[in-house]
Amino acid sequence: MAYTITDLCIGCGLCKMVCPVDAITGKPRKDHLIVPVRCIECGACGRICPAEAVKDPEGKVCRRVRFRHRWERPHISEAVCIGCAICIQSCPVSCLGLSEPGGSIDSVRKAVLQFPEHCIACAFCAADCPVDAIRMAPPEAAEAAPTDAAPPGEPPRSDEK
Amino acid sequence: MGLGYTGKILVVDLTTGRIRSETVPEWIYEQFLSGVGLAAWYLYRHIPTDADPLGPENVLGFAAGALTGTGSLFSGRWMVVGKSPLTGCWGEANCGGTFAPAIKQCGYDGIFFSGISPHPVYLFADNNTAELRDATDLWGLDAGATEARLCAMHPGRKRPRIACIGPAGERQSLIAGVVHDGGRLAARAGLGAVMGAKRLKAVALAGSQRIKVHDRSGVLRLSREVSATVQNQPPFVSGKVAAYLGRLIRVLPTQMETDGLLYKMILRKWGTVGMNQMSIEMGDAPVQNWRGTHHDFDLDTSSRLAPEVFTRPVVAKYFCYSCPLGCGALVEGAPGAPRGHRPEYETAMALGPLCLNADSDSIFQMNEMLNRAGMDSISAGATIAFAMECYEHGLITRADTDGLDLSWGNSAAMVALIDKMIRREGIGDLLADGSRMAARRIGAGSGRFAMHAGGQELPMHDSRFDPGFALHYAVEPAPGRHTVGSFLYYEMFQLWREIEDLPDPSRFYLKRRKYDTDLEKARMAAACSQFVNLLNAAGICLFGAFLGIRRLPVFQWLDAVSGRPRSPEVYLQIGANIQTVRQAFNFRQGIDPLVIRVSDRALGRPPQSRGANEGRSVAVEKLLKDYFRQFGWDEGTGRPTEKALGDINL
Repeated sequence: MAYTITDLCIGCGLCKMVCPVDAITGKPRKDHLIVPVRCIECGACGRICPAEAVKDPEGKVCRRVRFRHRWERPHISEAVCIGCAICIQSCPVSCLGLSEPGGSIDSVRKAVLQFPEHCIACAFCAADCPVDAIRMAPPEAAEAAPTDAAPPGEPPRSDEK
Repeated sequence: MGLGYTGKILVVDLTTGRIRSETVPEWIYEQFLSGVGLAAWYLYRHIPTDADPLGPENVLGFAAGALTGTGSLFSGRWMVVGKSPLTGCWGEANCGGTFAPAIKQCGYDGIFFSGISPHPVYLFADNNTAELRDATDLWGLDAGATEARLCAMHPGRKRPRIACIGPAGERQSLIAGVVHDGGRLAARAGLGAVMGAKRLKAVALAGSQRIKVHDRSGVLRLSREVSATVQNQPPFVSGKVAAYLGRLIRVLPTQMETDGLLYKMILRKWGTVGMNQMSIEMGDAPVQNWRGTHHDFDLDTSSRLAPEVFTRPVVAKYFCYSCPLGCGALVEGAPGAPRGHRPEYETAMALGPLCLNADSDSIFQMNEMLNRAGMDSISAGATIAFAMECYEHGLITRADTDGLDLSWGNSAAMVALIDKMIRREGIGDLLADGSRMAARRIGAGSGRFAMHAGGQELPMHDSRFDPGFALHYAVEPAPGRHTVGSFLYYEMFQLWREIEDLPDPSRFYLKRRKYDTDLEKARMAAACSQFVNLLNAAGICLFGAFLGIRRLPVFQWLDAVSGRPRSPEVYLQIGANIQTVRQAFNFRQGIDPLVIRVSDRALGRPPQSRGANEGRSVAVEKLLKDYFRQFGWDEGTGRPTEKALGDINL
């Protein structure tokens, strides 16, 4: 199963640029094509396509999310994270990393969003987290929701890096 | 296509540079699962009889398990396999870190190398490509520098995960291993030398493919329970209490069935070094090249190797992929190890009491040197202990050691000696291939001081203390490994809770009962072999399995991943199938399992006259017949019968 590009494609090449696994081929201003065996179904092409020309494996048209900095991104609850690093390995663009060592044997390095600008909102990290420590939400959602389990100020700290 | 597997392997011929992807028949996964099972099947088919382990016919394989990347916990272990140059037998080494998922994320269950490259190369693979690239510039770099350089050379979107060799592997030291993540080693069996002989400096993997799972939410549900068990950690006592617990175990004539939860608590608090003093006190850790006792390394001396000493420079726990436990640790500012991994129990014991060395600073330093050079710290420590005993008896003198005073416990000389072994300089060249080879070179009856099984140096678990180890040291297709079975392991695996036929050990028993040889012991040993093969095929960590089968739901995870429920008996049969292939591999290579010798001292021949294991000896030969029968092999010779081979389509 893979994502597909319909004939609404305008050949802008944005999908090709955002695809983390180079699964999309096509020349500028020509129809683009997703190579099915390469596609990992991250959905980034669908989120970025200005012509809404991408269909998901179930055949539904993907909705564009304007402005990449508004895409959902992982909000990691430091209290819940156990430091197993499954999310870090799942991430196709290596935007997650481990926090700095705390300086003692009891210090557990937790997952942090190290490079938010690389995030493609695939949510693989949240899907694979064995302890449900990761929630996908738009960047501003963490500050907006006071009941959020994630300690306030965590996403800004990662942004500073 | 069974889920949880990618169904493909990558086959690289280093001589011609040809790389191809092969589809693995479905029945292979049915019978051998993935990981070590898949690798055993491949090597059995592709390594010819009497292959030179350092020649082009040998195949070096990297394999990831069936549960890796599926959301199950403790599933970050990968295997390196090949014909061992150290033993000539089936060779395998197991390692954690983040390399296991990286193999599968490139779309393969295993990567196999044959041939010899005309010049140093490394393999780079990601989702779409797999190619050999020139590694002339990397040749000669230590493992840490190699990884850093390769990461800088591949600044793609996905950070590459790297397994490489250091200078020890390049120089084909027969005790060299494969290094990952700055100092995690797939150390045993000398497979680093095979990699060096093939002129394969590194494997760098940057794939990001998803691993398909039948019921991911089911897998994650099970994982959450496991995580809760592991996170539940009572406030802990000091390291000294563990030492006194060890002393108590030594003094009492009875023993209690051990629950792995206790072990988990020690691992979570301190990692494997939490066992240091306890093991010395109870007689599990060999002292002074296996001839000493706790009298030679008393509580005062061992307190210099207490868990607290090893945790002082720690800055954070180190977790392998998908591990909720975190038994490793990163250290900073330790002597000789500005930034690296903390020594593990095996390293601390091999370089500590085995050589009567109580200088923890030197252990930190040697650990870092060995990690960077890619040399097995167990074998290195055991070989130094051997050299020290030879020196004591005058079989080697100062003239042979380039002026080093190899008296027991001389830590400065040990550091210098390890440096020489890595560089293969002078005496180091003589010792760099392990104690059996060194004994052959020295001659003069020095062989009696070399503590090995079939050529592989014995690990730091005394078979006189837990005779369950002896059988596995002696008759496993990969001899001399401590990660397969023992009575302690059997108690912690708790397999009888899932499989009714297996013997249920008593809650309390007299210690001397451990030395009786009966059918029950052979069945317990066979169950351990089968179960650990299954773990290695699934990619599960042994320390996770110590929680017990009820707390670590390996079978249920496999059911959920594949969508095909199978009974625990069927899963153990998969383990037995793997054991049969590995045994058949050895026979094809001309290895007679009855000829593999565990050094006499390790079996208590003659028994020690004092200490925890006073008067103990292990009649391992008496168990062989029953053990072989458990797998349907010939009782007398251990050779897999035509029927046993036919049952698994070989």
